[in-house]
Formats: sequence, C-alpha cells, structure tokens
Amino acid sequence: MDPTTAMYVAQGVHGLAYGMLLFLVASGLTMVFGMMGILNIAHASFFMLSAYFSYQVLAVFGSFWLALLVAPVVAAAFGVLCERLLLRRVHAFGHMGELILTVGISLVILEGVKVFWGTESLPIHVPTILEGRLALGGLDYPVYRLFVIGLALVVLGLLAALLYTTRLGTVVRAAVSDAGMVNALGVNVPLVFMLVFGTGTWLAGVAGVVIAPILTVYPGLADQMGMDAFVVVVTGGLGSLWGAFLVSIILGELNSYGVQFVSQLAPVLMFVFMAIVLAFRPMGLFGERE
Amino acid sequence: MNRLADDPHTVKEDPMKPPRMALTLVIFTCLLLFGAADALAAAPKAAFDPDKMADMSDFDPNNPVIPTGDTIKIAVVASFSGPAAVVGQIYFISVQWAAHDINKRGGIMVDGKRKKIEVIKANHASTPAETKKVAERMVLQEKVHVLWGTDGSHLMKVINQVADKYKVIAQTTAALSDELYDETSFSRYSFMSSFSTDQIGRAAAYHYGKVRKKEKKFYILGQDYLFGHSLADGFKKGLKEYYPEAELVGEDYHPLFMKDFAPYLQKVKASGAEVIFTGDWIPDAENLLVQARQMGVTLPFANIFLDEPNMLHRVGVDGTTGLVHVSQYGSEGGFFKTPGQIKAYKAWNTLWKTKWGPPYNTRLYEHGTGNIGSYIQQTYWLLSVMERAGSTDPEKIIKVWESDSYQLLNGKVLTMRACDHKVIQDLHVEEYVAPAKQRESFNIAPYFWYEGTASVGPTVMVPAKSVLPKMDRALARCKDKSEAGE
Repeated sequence: MDPTTAMYVAQGVHGLAYGMLLFLVASGLTMVFGMMGILNIAHASFFMLSAYFSYQVLAVFGSFWLALLVAPVVAAAFGVLCERLLLRRVHAFGHMGELILTVGISLVILEGVKVFWGTESLPIHVPTILEGRLALGGLDYPVYRLFVIGLALVVLGLLAALLYTTRLGTVVRAAVSDAGMVNALGVNVPLVFMLVFGTGTWLAGVAGVVIAPILTVYPGLADQMGMDAFVVVVTGGLGSLWGAFLVSIILGELNSYGVQFVSQLAPVLMFVFMAIVLAFRPMGLFGERE
Repeated sequence: MNRLADDPHTVKEDPMKPPRMALTLVIFTCLLLFGAADALAAAPKAAFDPDKMADMSDFDPNNPVIPTGDTIKIAVVASFSGPAAVVGQIYFISVQWAAHDINKRGGIMVDGKRKKIEVIKANHASTPAETKKVAERMVLQEKVHVLWGTDGSHLMKVINQVADKYKVIAQTTAALSDELYDETSFSRYSFMSSFSTDQIGRAAAYHYGKVRKKEKKFYILGQDYLFGHSLADGFKKGLKEYYPEAELVGEDYHPLFMKDFAPYLQKVKASGAEVIFTGDWIPDAENLLVQARQMGVTLPFANIFLDEPNMLHRVGVDGTTGLVHVSQYGSEGGFFKTPGQIKAYKAWNTLWKTKWGPPYNTRLYEHGTGNIGSYIQQTYWLLSVMERAGSTDPEKIIKVWESDSYQLLNGKVLTMRACDHKVIQDLHVEEYVAPAKQRESFNIAPYFWYEGTASVGPTVMVPAKSVLPKMDRALARCKDKSEAGE
C-alpha cells in the first residue's frame, strides 16, 4: 500500500475506532433513554465514575483486566441504587423531575470524584499485551485501538443476543412497549427496568474503562463524551441499538475524514448530519417514536 | 542618555573626577551598544531579595493564615470549582505564599500605615457571566484593591472590563493573548505581568532558527480559539523573522476538549514534519501527547503547557525526551546560582515533603518553580509596586508600575512597557532530557527534577530585544513609541 492510500485507510480505521468508543457510551444511554423513557443526564457521569474505579483497581491490584471486570460492575451497582432509590420515585412526574434529578446526580458524582481522587489527571496505561502497533500492508496501527473495535463488536453481539434471542429480552422489549400489560401478566416490571438501567450504566462503565488509557481521567471527562453520546442516541433513534451502532460509525468516519479534507469544518459535521436526519426522520434513523 | 546626563542631582551629589567621568562614558557606550531594553534589564528598580524572606515553616495552603481588618485585599479570580478547579488551587497557593511571606515580615507600608495582605478566592466557574458577577462582587462588596487572574483570555477580558469600570488594579498573570491589551481592549488599570502569545511563538522560532538550526519542517496543531490562533501567528511571524528557510508543512486547529487526536496525528505523520508546535493545555495537551506516542508519532512538541509532571510521567522518559518548552521562569546554565535561590527553593520543597496535605502534596506542587514560581514572583512584583507607591490608590500604583522594572528570584528582570502595560523580558527555551542529564538544569542534589520522566535540561536564553511584546500601533498611547517602549 502506498503511503497516501495507507493514510486514507488509517483515517477510516481511526473513524471506526472512535465510532466504537462512542457506541459503547451511547448504547447504554439509548437503552435507558429509549426503552425506559428516562432522560438520564448523569449517564456520562457513570462513564467517568467507572474510569476512576478502574484507576483505583489498577492502583491496588495492577491488573487492567480485573479493572475491566470490576469497575463497570461497581458503576452499574451505583446506577441500580440511583434507579431504585431516586429515579423510580420521580418517574411518575415526567421528564422534568428526571432531568433535574439526574443533573443533581451528575453534580454529586463530579464533586465526589474530586473529593476522593482530587482534580489532577490520573494516569492509566495501556496493558502491556496491547501496547505497540500492528503493521499490516503499509498500515501501522495501535493494537489497543483494534482491541477497542473488537470489544465493542463483542458487546454489540452480546446485547443483541440478550435482547432478541432470550426470554428476558422479550420481556424487556414487551415492558417497554406496554408496561401495564406485562405487569398484569405477572412480570415484575420495576425489576426489569432496574435491570435495564443497571445494564445501561454497566455499558457506560465498560466504555469508561477502555477509554481511560486513551483519554485523560479527570473531572471533566464526562462532559467530553456526554454531548456526542446524546447526538448518537437522538440521530440513531431512541432505544435502537442498531441505530446507535450505525450512527456511531458514521460520526466516527465523518470526524476522521472531516479532519483529513475539511479540517476547520470537521467539528460541526456531526451536527449537520444530525440536523439532516432529523429533518427527514424526526424519530431518528431507526426510531419508532418521536 | 541625555536625560541622565542632564540630571542635576547626579552632578550636585557626586561631582565626578576625570577618571570616573571616563569610566562613566565607557558604561554609557556599553549601554548604547546593548540597546535600550538591555539597559533597562541591567538596572532593575527593585528586586526580590530571598535573604529577607520570612520563616515560612508554618505555611500551609490548606490552613492559610488570612489577616482581617484594614488589609490590602487581593482577589484571586479563577476556577475554584468544576473540572478546572486545579487551576484555582495553583493560583491560590502561589499568591498566598507571597502574601504569607510579606505578612510575616509585618506587611507593607501603604496609606500611612503597615498593612497585611488578605487573599480572597473568587470563583469565576470558567464562565464570562460568572466572572463579571464575581469580579464586581469583589470590587463592590469586598472592596478589593487588586483583581488577580486568570485562566482564559476571554475571562481576563471580563476582569479587565470590571477593573476599568470601577477603577481597580487588575494583574494579568496567566492569560496570555496579546489582544487583551490592544486598542479595543486596553485598560490603564490592568497590567500584564506574564509573557504573551506573540512572544512565546517567536521565542520558539528563535530557538529553532538561531540556536538549534536543525529541524526545518514544522506542523502547527493548536486549539481553535483566540489563544491558539494568536500563539500560532506568533510562531509563524517568528519563523519569518528568525528562520526564513523553515517550512510550515501543515496547520490545523481542533476544538477545545478534543477526544480523538488520531485523525490530526495521521495528517502530521504524512506531512513529513519534524516538530509539532502547539499551545494546547490540559486536558488537550495530555491527550495529544499520549495519543501521539501510542500511534508511534515520536516527534518533539514545541509548546508551553506540556510541562505538567503527572502528564509527563504517563508517557515516561522515552515519550517526553526531546520536548521543547518555552518558559517565562527559566534559567540558563543551572537553575540554582545563589544561596538565596537554594534557600527559597528548599523552603517550599521541604514543606511539600513534610507538611502539606492533599491536593498540595501531589507531584504537581513538588518544586514551586515553573509556572508556580512565576506566579509567586509576579505577585511579589505587585506588592513591591504597591509598597513603593506607598499607597493602595490605583493612580499612584499606575504611576510606579508604568516603566517599572523588577528582578525576580531567578535573576530575570521584568520591565513594564508603559504605553500598553506589557512586559519586556528575556524568555527561556528548555529542552527536555532524561533524569541523568537533568543536572545541567537541576544543579543541586538530587540533580534531577523527576525520576520517571524527561524534564528541563539544556536551556537557552532568548534575549528580550528579540521577543519584544507585540505592540498595537492603533493604541494611541503607543503611537510614537518604539517597541522597547521609548
């Protein structure tokens, strides 16, 4: 591959890698936002919280893999507690109550990480086995970014299998469609919703851990990813896993090739794309409701 | 020269005999040869004297001793909450250090009595609206004498507007855009005691063109707002001035708080650049450096904010060796040249090791040099000006500060250009080297700044006359002035 072609191919892979990171954050958000109708402004804060947990696990045990296993589960536990003890109480009062409550939760998390970990950036290294670059036909690409792409695909597969091939997935989708009917059939709908919320925050947690070696872990981390994740969810369609996946990749590629060809315009391309999609399909690419 | 020769006091108080007259002529000739800026730098009107420093062993930034009553009030306007709270912490410990020292010496004589320094935290929460609100509250309710700030030129602009409206002194110590003191923004109540974007860019270009003469291909990668562009303009101007044979192989500006630098770094890779020039600050600086090294981009960065120790440790010695840093508080040929400098350094470092708690016991605060050292010394300059003005009256302070010169602890001299309130000063360009080679800069035990990262090594002085601050000719006060301010 000649250097120019290698550069264009590399930009494509960069777009894919960033898109996959975005998908990991947005998939949890779309589940909670779309399926439960909960406007969870604190979603990105759980993502940040998990990054901090992973730092702590690494500091104590020195294992990235243990951090990847433990940190998202702890973040999910916090998410479940928030849903059970706080969100459930205001759900009946509509989006405004949820909005204010989740903003409050995000502020508490922000101040909490500052109290426990301070305001300085914390270093998290790429695990040794994933260090270095892979040389493929003129392409010299970081192994860790390839790992992120692979992990996101595995997560997508697992989620799709859970939602579309298991009884639990059927119950979840039914509860989203008509919670009253599912409740009448003897299913504990609040428990299902709590599981969905927990899974959503777990996904954010996974994203938090895998992004930590690439991005700075500091109290502003949530703000950095939050906006992009909302754009993905709205453009892909509320509650649509496939929509989130497709839009994440499109935004990743728009960013990469935007920087390559129209650098100054690259940051606004994702918003232009969102505006165009919503102009023709207000419910998003794969959404079923506005 | 004529002004000095005609000075009647000189003749009356010390009539010169022929040999001394000849000596004087030789000195004047030398002054002419070295230029006006050098002459100013050679004879500071005041200096920081480490021998006069108080015993600082009781200083604790977490439990500061804040005097009350009839005090000189300085509001540190900065981020004290949210993601950028660390910036407020850095500013506060710097200003409080100088205040604590002066207070333990009994304060300074102003308005007919000795007054102590009261430092007040004013949280601007990183927004212009909050900056205006808190700055006005500081002036109207707290009756502060000085607004000290801040992180972000757009926020400093608001502070300067408040200072101008209420006729209160403002000191720009950390916002670096030249535009803050141009024709549209200048306020005679505000003084820029830091270096500025144009100077920084030109100093880096001077280093590559006049000193290093090695790399020729440069890529500018900066943040897409006033500061990033202003800094890049300075670098491009400097390349034209000092390195015309250099080639700018690429130029990109990214949004603030960028997540993925890979597409930009891919372009840098393909451009054949030998150096990346950037003004990015954390978190962008850290993400840029870390992601570059992960992608195998090992090029040196020429910068001003890639000096934060935690970030440097993240990429280790290999990832940081060769970085080039433009500093306003550097020192050529070893940082410690006098017993006083060592004493002042150890006063800080010993407390860091033994006394301070979080967050001030972290690596960021270990040395009290670099930007922290600069902020401390800029504050001492402010207090020295007030003392020599003998007043907290802004008009009297302005009168002293315009054309004032002050020698810092590290021997550097800052001269305030009267017409636009910018500082004429030598700058230093530092090359980052492995710990074993850092003794060239850290010339006392343990002979390195940090063990786990490259840090300051060989340091080159860029003379003030080569990086005079940018002057806006549209500013009426500067119309007939030379860049040296005369």
